[in-house]
Amino acid sequence: MNTVDEILDYAIEQEQQAADFYAELALRAEKAGMKQVLLDFADEEMSHKKRLLAVKNGKHELTPEEEVLDLKISDYLVEVDATDDISYQDALIIAMKRERAAYELYTDMAANIPDSHLKEVITGLAKEEAKHKLFFESEYDDRVLMDN
Amino acid sequence: MSLKDLLSPFFVWQRAFEKPWTNMRPIEERPGAPAYRGFHINLADSCIGCGSCHTICQNEAIDMVPVEEFSGRPGDSGLRPRFDYGRCCWCALCVDICTANSLHMSNEYTWLARDPTDYHFTAGVEEKPWQDSELGYHRAEGYHLYPPKRIDMDMLTADESVQSFDEVVNGYSEEQAKLEADRCVECGICVATCPAHMDVPDYIRSIRDGDFETGLQLMYRTNPFPATCGRICTHRCEEVCPVGITGQPIAIRWLKRFIVDQVDSIDYARILDSEIIENGHKVAVIGAGPGGLSAAYYLRKKGYSVTVYESQETGGGMLRYGVPSYRLPDDALDKDIDYIISVGVDIRYNTIIGKDVMFEDLLGEYDAIFLSTGLSVPSSMRINGEDHPRVLSGLQVLADVARGKDPGIGRKVAVIGGGNVAMDAARVSRRLGADVDILYRRRISEMPADPEEIKESQEEKCNLVEKAIPVEIMDTGSKKQVTIKWGEAEMVQDPKGGRPRPVLQEDRMHTETYDCIISAIGQGSNLDFITPAVQEQLAIEWGKFTPGEYQRSELEKIFVGGDVANRTADAISAIEDGHHAARGIDRFLKPGAYAEN
Ligand SMILES: Cc1cc2nc3c(=O)[nH]c(=O)nc-3n(C[C@H](O)[C@H](O)[C@H](O)COP(=O)(O)OP(=O)(O)OC[C@H]3O[C@@H](n4cnc5c(N)ncnc54)[C@H](O)[C@@H]3O)c2cc1C
Repeated sequence: MNTVDEILDYAIEQEQQAADFYAELALRAEKAGMKQVLLDFADEEMSHKKRLLAVKNGKHELTPEEEVLDLKISDYLVEVDATDDISYQDALIIAMKRERAAYELYTDMAANIPDSHLKEVITGLAKEEAKHKLFFESEYDDRVLMDN
Repeated sequence: MSLKDLLSPFFVWQRAFEKPWTNMRPIEERPGAPAYRGFHINLADSCIGCGSCHTICQNEAIDMVPVEEFSGRPGDSGLRPRFDYGRCCWCALCVDICTANSLHMSNEYTWLARDPTDYHFTAGVEEKPWQDSELGYHRAEGYHLYPPKRIDMDMLTADESVQSFDEVVNGYSEEQAKLEADRCVECGICVATCPAHMDVPDYIRSIRDGDFETGLQLMYRTNPFPATCGRICTHRCEEVCPVGITGQPIAIRWLKRFIVDQVDSIDYARILDSEIIENGHKVAVIGAGPGGLSAAYYLRKKGYSVTVYESQETGGGMLRYGVPSYRLPDDALDKDIDYIISVGVDIRYNTIIGKDVMFEDLLGEYDAIFLSTGLSVPSSMRINGEDHPRVLSGLQVLADVARGKDPGIGRKVAVIGGGNVAMDAARVSRRLGADVDILYRRRISEMPADPEEIKESQEEKCNLVEKAIPVEIMDTGSKKQVTIKWGEAEMVQDPKGGRPRPVLQEDRMHTETYDCIISAIGQGSNLDFITPAVQEQLAIEWGKFTPGEYQRSELEKIFVGGDVANRTADAISAIEDGHHAARGIDRFLKPGAYAEN
């Protein structure tokens, strides 16, 4: 991945894969109300994809310099499996961890290339993922950690 | 007639061209004395429309009228006083009684208007020149027509209370209760705020009248758990009590308890029973918590045959297995439940729906189902090491204690969480002889637990550690101990608004070893007993139902309520959900009876 378009295509594909992942899990989900939650997650990923498509088409700019709050919630949680009887809490953990992994991937990538437009774009993608992580972590903070 | 008389009209004409002698304002204008009782000023924004001014006015010069801009404000009737100056005698009793201290009088006393109806005016809402006047009659600082302080409740001291599971609150004597009841201004703002809309002013009046039986009847109209709610209700009524604006709110909860404590349960049937006319319909209720039993009681009163299915060996739900006996003794809860059973509610204990009896069978067998199964699954922290045997759940510890079982917590305990379950688990641990640290992610001011519980847990020497985020549980090598690693948090403003969020400071970590860790970070529902095909048809969000009108679900036979279907998750809301659902089921099964409404 040496060009801006290549990296954007990769990121767009990742968002699509995430949406497919949640949609597939929604088909299997057994617990009450979980289908809808997972379909909402899939929609959220599709909105990320749309945003990146807009970046690729020059209709939207990434913000590599933006400071994004890191709640560090997912960093200390255990890995959970995407089982058929997945709970809300675990679905959120999976979502937070996926966003975190993506954030770390782009951050590492950016660290290993010299200053360039490409580096800026990759840093911008990292910030996008940090925002997604914040979105799911805030959700976890509000819905799971209510009494905590 | 003399010539002079004859000519005088012609001389008068001379005067027509002179300066007039009549003054537009015949008297030199004199300002009212500084504390004069002149026209009223109402700070309409601070006023909550309690109507005390209207009630006290001996001349019936004050009407309470709706004012659009104040309607729907919490703890506000949406009404404001309108004065009729044809009737007012300027006695200022209205100012003296005003609970919000929003009503004053200016020293203005002249007002000219052609239309007599102009002298009816809604102070603070209609613009008047004296609205901002500083002068005029104001109630003197510290002067109250009713005592602003509530009658102190006799309670065990913190040192005494941790020695046993005895009830901490002793209750009012008759003399104390009457004095406290005397402070009520009977505004009824509490009625609108109480989820069950209990008729508070009237049952408080029954205390003043010494007529406790009427008080009990009034309470049972909307709440068949008065002994319970008189002890542990979240008492939102007191939060809006206008007497609390300039003083302390009426102790509504303790007064409710006082009434129930005055009536022996043997007399309940005589006081409360009314003829039940069987209507031939059968309703099943799942869960014998306050939600389920409230529905069962009101359905039974309407003539339904009601069967309650309960997985535990006795009724009460979380009131029995969650709320500890030092706040709600078993005999108080039993007083409520025994009367519900006595009207003919059949409870099948030790019966798990989904295992012993299938949900589909109930759907076939009964005309309607009310489901109030609560939140029984403790949330997990999902941190490393959490499955350590010395990590216990708060709900389990409380249930063990309720059943008289030793939960085996040891002598040094950390409780994780800041809700009521955490506070109860901590206070129970103190009674079992342990030293307790409560670790909470946010600040004390943000704890969801009842402020009273927080205060009492601190008095009982639970050590509250705020801004502490657990990150890992570690084995110590001993079967009797466990170590927790937690980090300090900084509170950071959420860029999107909302409550500040705790952010872990990874350079400020601590480790501490305890005999056990009690996790009490929240609880969720278990709806696995509902077959997937039925679940698909019900609106369930984040493990909770989102009922429609009259607690009805998407399936016309199924009604839902209590913790599993509301946001407030307290007893009084569950009780109201049950009552509401009973009315809904009645409408559903006897549509003809409501056709005209
Ligand atoms: C520790 C603690 C302290 C609290 N303190 C207060 C307080 O001070 N004030 C206050 O107002 N509220 C308090 N609450 C909340 C209050 O207890 C609940 O809001 C109330 O009990 C909810 O009533 P419910 O009927 O919805 O459910 P629950 O009381 O939870 O009852 C549900 C019942 O359904 C039964 N059930 C569940 N599934 C099945 C099944 N499949 N088959 C058969 N039976 C089933 C359960 O066994 C249970 O008995 C407290 C709760 C806890 C846990």
